[in-house]
Amino acid sequence: MAAFEETGPRNPVTESIRVDKVHPRARFMKNARAILVLILALIGLIPVVAMGLTAFKSRADVVAVPPKLAFEPTLEGFVFLLTERSQLSGSKLEEAKANADDLGLFGQIALRNGQRVNGPSDYVTRLWNSLIIAGGSTIISVVLGLFAAYAFSRFDIPGKDDLLFFILSTRMLPAVVVTIPLFLMFRQLGLFDTHLGMILLYTVFNLSLTVWLLKGFIDEIPREYEEAALVDGYTRFQAFYKIVLPQAATGIAATTVFSLIFAWNEYAFALMLTSNNARTAPPAIATMLGRGGIEWSAIAAGTLTFLIPVVIITFVLRRHLLRGVTFGAIRQ
Amino acid sequence: MATIKLRQVEKRFGEFQAVKPMDLTIDSGEFVVFLGPSGCGKTTTLRMISGLESVSTGDIFLDDRKVTWLRPSDRDIAFVFQFFALYPHMTAQQNIAFPLQAEGESKDEIDRRVKEVVDLLQIGHLLNFRPGKLSGGDKQRVALARALVRRPAAFLMDEPLGALDADFRESMRAEIKQLHLNLNATTVYVTHDQIEAMAMSDRIVVMSNAEVQQVGTPAQVYYDPANLFVARFIGSPGMNLMASQYGNGIVRLPGANQYVVSPDWRMALGEGLDSDDVIIGFRPEAAHIKPDGNLVGEVYASELYGAYTMLHVELDGNEIVHIRSDRQTRYPIGSKVRFDLDPEMVRFFNPKTEMAIN
Amino acid sequence: MSTVIKSQTEVAKARSAQPNPRRDLSDKAIRNLFIFPTLVLLIAINVFPLIYSLYLSFTNYSAIANKQPVWIGFENFGRVLSDDRMWEFFSTTGQYVLFSVLLQLIIGFALAMLVRDKFFGSGLVTTLILVPMMLSPVVVGLFWKLMYNPTFGYVNYLLGFSNPSLAPDWLASRWAGQPTPGLALWAVIFVDVWMWTPFVMLLILSGLKAIPDYLYEAAAIDRASAWFQFWRITLPQVAPLMMIAILFRTIEAFNKSFDLVMGMTGGGPGTQTEVVAVTLYKQAFQGQWQTGRASALAYMVLIIIIAISNLYIRNLNRMKEGA
Repeated sequence: MAAFEETGPRNPVTESIRVDKVHPRARFMKNARAILVLILALIGLIPVVAMGLTAFKSRADVVAVPPKLAFEPTLEGFVFLLTERSQLSGSKLEEAKANADDLGLFGQIALRNGQRVNGPSDYVTRLWNSLIIAGGSTIISVVLGLFAAYAFSRFDIPGKDDLLFFILSTRMLPAVVVTIPLFLMFRQLGLFDTHLGMILLYTVFNLSLTVWLLKGFIDEIPREYEEAALVDGYTRFQAFYKIVLPQAATGIAATTVFSLIFAWNEYAFALMLTSNNARTAPPAIATMLGRGGIEWSAIAAGTLTFLIPVVIITFVLRRHLLRGVTFGAIRQ
Repeated sequence: MATIKLRQVEKRFGEFQAVKPMDLTIDSGEFVVFLGPSGCGKTTTLRMISGLESVSTGDIFLDDRKVTWLRPSDRDIAFVFQFFALYPHMTAQQNIAFPLQAEGESKDEIDRRVKEVVDLLQIGHLLNFRPGKLSGGDKQRVALARALVRRPAAFLMDEPLGALDADFRESMRAEIKQLHLNLNATTVYVTHDQIEAMAMSDRIVVMSNAEVQQVGTPAQVYYDPANLFVARFIGSPGMNLMASQYGNGIVRLPGANQYVVSPDWRMALGEGLDSDDVIIGFRPEAAHIKPDGNLVGEVYASELYGAYTMLHVELDGNEIVHIRSDRQTRYPIGSKVRFDLDPEMVRFFNPKTEMAIN
Repeated sequence: MSTVIKSQTEVAKARSAQPNPRRDLSDKAIRNLFIFPTLVLLIAINVFPLIYSLYLSFTNYSAIANKQPVWIGFENFGRVLSDDRMWEFFSTTGQYVLFSVLLQLIIGFALAMLVRDKFFGSGLVTTLILVPMMLSPVVVGLFWKLMYNPTFGYVNYLLGFSNPSLAPDWLASRWAGQPTPGLALWAVIFVDVWMWTPFVMLLILSGLKAIPDYLYEAAAIDRASAWFQFWRITLPQVAPLMMIAILFRTIEAFNKSFDLVMGMTGGGPGTQTEVVAVTLYKQAFQGQWQTGRASALAYMVLIIIIAISNLYIRNLNRMKEGA
């Protein structure tokens, strides 16, 4: 230590850095910290990795003790998840095996367990529902949110702050609190267990997010551009879609994705306000457990199909994450 | 109080040389100003002295103690930042007490010493406010108090008045100078404002392009600039500089103008030149307007500065020089004006090396 | 003079007052058009149901009974308040919120401090750490259920339990076959911490990054030790963001805990992990479908949340005034 203060570092410092941070101890701490963070991050991701592995395990490997890290990957879980199958026996099984070459990939995998694929499972419908409902509600909430955000950003609105706070507070309500009357309302209006009902509900659920996020993004676009356009004879609406929209493009994209994720992940409303026709994937995965003979690999496959898009999106959106999860209240 | 020595101190950022190897000795109790345009390396040098920046090569000594690789807190220096760097969540009182608390002083001692600097700077009325509620000048007073309270061996100030309004600046300038006279503490002060440098310093270190151009008293850098950069940079407007020809004791200025060199210059000029080319330099106040003056030009513009008038005079050959005139006489634009140069205040430069000849 | 030359603003006003043939809608009309749909939707699907459920909370209505609601005054509220089991559920929720938020705050702060200064790959690692909070809570609950499985789950394996009969069955609150109350709740809290610590970290990290460097430079000059800097600069500077993190997490813990608990235990074993949100769901949508009573309970939860938020926000404002 004394040696360092006498001699300095071995190589000349050619970056802007404080003297105490050049100290070998500081450098060592920095590396130690980096390694520690990496280890913690990896530990934190164990469950996600475990789930990924389980999705590709065979029925036997899933319940192996101790858990297998090396195993022969199979798509069995996906077959269980996505198809309805029936058990074959005797001559039918022999016959199916003889014609195995005609079967698709899923058919062949099912056959190894002595089963025949009859068609897609309910889960495929649930995924489809999730897609329609999340997609539909996102489009509507982003469009409406854009209009409202623009108005809140650019115009004098009496009681603006209170209104904005009110919009935010609707998001803070526990889902369960609003669900009881909504359930009655929806039943009365024939919206219970319909795609339209869920789209409407998720639209409102996401509106607070889209209004707040987009307002933040639009606030950052200087008014001068629009004012110049207005002076040039544009109408307010033209200025809005020719000037503001293109400039807010990144913000709109980020908002859209956040809105999609929240709708895609939602569980409580879907559980209570759908039963079959419009049921989305999250409650469907959950109820899969309820049935006898838990197919863990199928559940793992189901959650994996759910996780992968979200993980990718997390990476794409990492710069906007903070904004997204705090409704634009905090920016980096 | 301490002396500060820089020995071949250099700073590189990657390939870029931010400060070329420099030597400098600052005496105990001296007020030294680093002056230069932005990006010249003056702040980097100051930060290297403080330890907030590490040197690439070279060594820094405080009172003959090598501090090059000592952390800032072990150097016994105080630093005053351009934007004050007050702790925003603490009151002025807490800000000033911070360095003492960090050292674990007793409460009584802290109170006593805070009171001491508060009285010295007369900021008693500010103590209970947080920085957000203070004006720029008051913030800097509190920042000064925080620097003073520890009684450091040297003060480093990085454009402390740079963030202040013009009228605050002037009064703070006087306050800081007064403070220095009271405490007689070694002070290194960075600024790009030459008026501040001239007004406050014992010595000025003029820097440009990562290099020290000249070290000298305000009078030296003003009257005897070491090179063309200093001649241009100091003074506003800077020194009049003109490419001319020398021969037989006469400097031929552009056009028909000629200047007779005084005898004591002849030897120096002969030795300092390797051709006939020479650059003549004189300050606006070195020109005396006379009806029978040797040099002649045409008034191009005239600016009343209040105490005097600054004439822009176009010599033959389109060279424009600045000449100081009294405030009463009017010179219509386009009229001829004749003047002589005060031989004491004329300087010559070698056009190749750009260095002064003396 | 003054009557002839109008000020610039007057001219501008006069110009904008003239009907502009190309400006078919006034700003005011556009403004109303733009916010109207949002407000209508929010009122229809948020405000109206809230009022409706307030009404229901004073009735004995059941959604599956074929009877009109009958006004019974405060009976529902009285019943909820006098129900011992209800206090148990509230206490479970309280523990859940308290411990999960506390742990998230401590771990999140530590993590934020660790990734605060850039190092090679720090951006990537930070993003990796953030993944859990983006996942669907119910799905998270499900795959943790697999992780917690007493025989083939990874948790017991990683903790070194090789014999399933001696190992804890976390979600069943059993340790080596012996009932161990609290185990399931802690298992759920652990998952909540796993999932939401990244959120707290993200907020605190943004707070840390907003602290200007020069404060630490000043502190280094002022000879403050690392600890002294942490307590006197870092902590007070991020305090407002910590407060926001706590606020968000507390409210969400009432809300999202439902998904996690439903995914993992459904409130079990028995009622050991039954947080209020689960009770609400069970009362309103299972068994006797006590819609009126559930509404009363929902309102009480709402009041608690509003009270807590108010407390935090007041605290936050005090801090901001101080800053």
